[in-house]
Amino acid sequence: MIRAKGLYKQFGRHAVLNGADFVAERKKITYIFGTSGGGKSTLLKILIGALKPDSGEVWYDTMNITQLSGRDLDPFRRKIGMLFQHGALLNSLTVGENIALPIREHTPLDENIIKIMIKMKLELVGLRDFEDLLPGQLSGGMKKRVALARAIALDPEVVFFDEPTSGLDPIVASVITKLIADLNRLLGLTCVVVAHAVDEAMRIADKIVILYMGRVLAEGSPAEIRASADPLVQQFITGSPDGPISFHASSKDFREDLLVDR
Amino acid sequence: MKNIFGYVGRAFITFLQDLSSIWHLFRETIVQAAVIFTDRKKLRQARLLAQVDEIGTLSLPLVLTVAALLGIALTVLISFELKEVGGLSYIPGFVAVAVFREMGPLITALIVAGRIGAAFTARIGTMKVSEEILALETMAINPVRFLVVQRFVGLLLSLPALTLLAGFTAVFGGFVYGSTRLGIRPDTYIRETLDVLTFTDVYSGIIKASVFSVVIVMIGCYRGLVVEGGAEQVGRSTMSSVVSSTLAIIVLDTLMTAAFYG
Repeated sequence: MIRAKGLYKQFGRHAVLNGADFVAERKKITYIFGTSGGGKSTLLKILIGALKPDSGEVWYDTMNITQLSGRDLDPFRRKIGMLFQHGALLNSLTVGENIALPIREHTPLDENIIKIMIKMKLELVGLRDFEDLLPGQLSGGMKKRVALARAIALDPEVVFFDEPTSGLDPIVASVITKLIADLNRLLGLTCVVVAHAVDEAMRIADKIVILYMGRVLAEGSPAEIRASADPLVQQFITGSPDGPISFHASSKDFREDLLVDR
Repeated sequence: MKNIFGYVGRAFITFLQDLSSIWHLFRETIVQAAVIFTDRKKLRQARLLAQVDEIGTLSLPLVLTVAALLGIALTVLISFELKEVGGLSYIPGFVAVAVFREMGPLITALIVAGRIGAAFTARIGTMKVSEEILALETMAINPVRFLVVQRFVGLLLSLPALTLLAGFTAVFGGFVYGSTRLGIRPDTYIRETLDVLTFTDVYSGIIKASVFSVVIVMIGCYRGLVVEGGAEQVGRSTMSSVVSSTLAIIVLDTLMTAAFYG
């Protein structure tokens, strides 16, 4: 179980996270939504221990991630996998070597077994024929699938996904969404997904967390979120341009800004 | 006036911070190198010889061409004056000493800093920007061990060897010019060179080259690891890497020459 308590993070004078609390249950799929620039990526970086919050804590079972740094984080990191937004595959290594990387690093397994494992993981994401290609030779969607194969190479307990379907065509996006659901159902993985796509979340999520202005606006099952009477929540799930959430990110009055030098 | 003091003060503090970070990186590199050299599997994965090949072998044509031309230019330059006073027989010794003690190590290091140091920064900086380094950390793989150690060992082996070869090539360049254009008999040229050149001249050059290789790797990798943002920062960091390593090489060269022969 992952529990975030009162996370606060400020960049310059802008508070990106402003006391966010939520829980991601074991073996469940938790989707985290939010407006662009609403602190989702920051939250994800804090959850994997790559960034320290200004205050607040993240607990993974009995481990307080926020108090660990450097090599002390390694035991936690061996239990997690992360799918980065653009894949973050190592461009100098082939697809197969990318997947083999964590296996070679953390297990004493023989090369022949590693080769079989690579094929198994690639089969899971449907790219068994692409083992010897370099990431630069793959499309965006393929890169993400290879990155997913790498994220699950060591059979982690939790996989974090940073916008797994953004920038993909609808078919590949559905394939990835189905993969997330399958991983959760077949392998019992805990999935924490940061995303924009409401429809896919409503389809496969066990729990949805909506971040707004650095805080958790609503939290619950897709049915509970859909039934929420809060107009902010409704605007999120319907994606309506009209509503209490403005698309203007500026804090200053427009008229004041225009007339300031006159 | 106040601004100048502020600027100089800030620049000095940044310089000290960089120096301290580079020192930490150096220590971590030594620790991680020890990890690699005590683990046969990791040693095989590090592909040290491939690095020597990439750094050393591929720099060879450029370094040798420059060294040969340098030897010729040096001979032309000093023969101009020595011819007047009938001191042509001093040329072989002078060229050999100048090349092995000073010009060879300096010119080779400057060429390698421009060719290899810049490539280290650009490569590692791009990896930082595309989250590849964060991905390594998330997989509990130490980025210093994965990216810095092999470059460190590769350059530590390559640069002294390149320097030595550059020295011999420059002396050969001088020999060709001296024996064909200045009328110094080949056997006299060789005897004069061997009479003057001592073992200290050669090994002081190798010590210099070893120090320069540490400087080039540390500055190159450090500037890459601290890149934040995008392509523009990678470019800026690469430029600053070449500028600072060039400066560091020249300053250290002066100090070492003074220490060895002052």
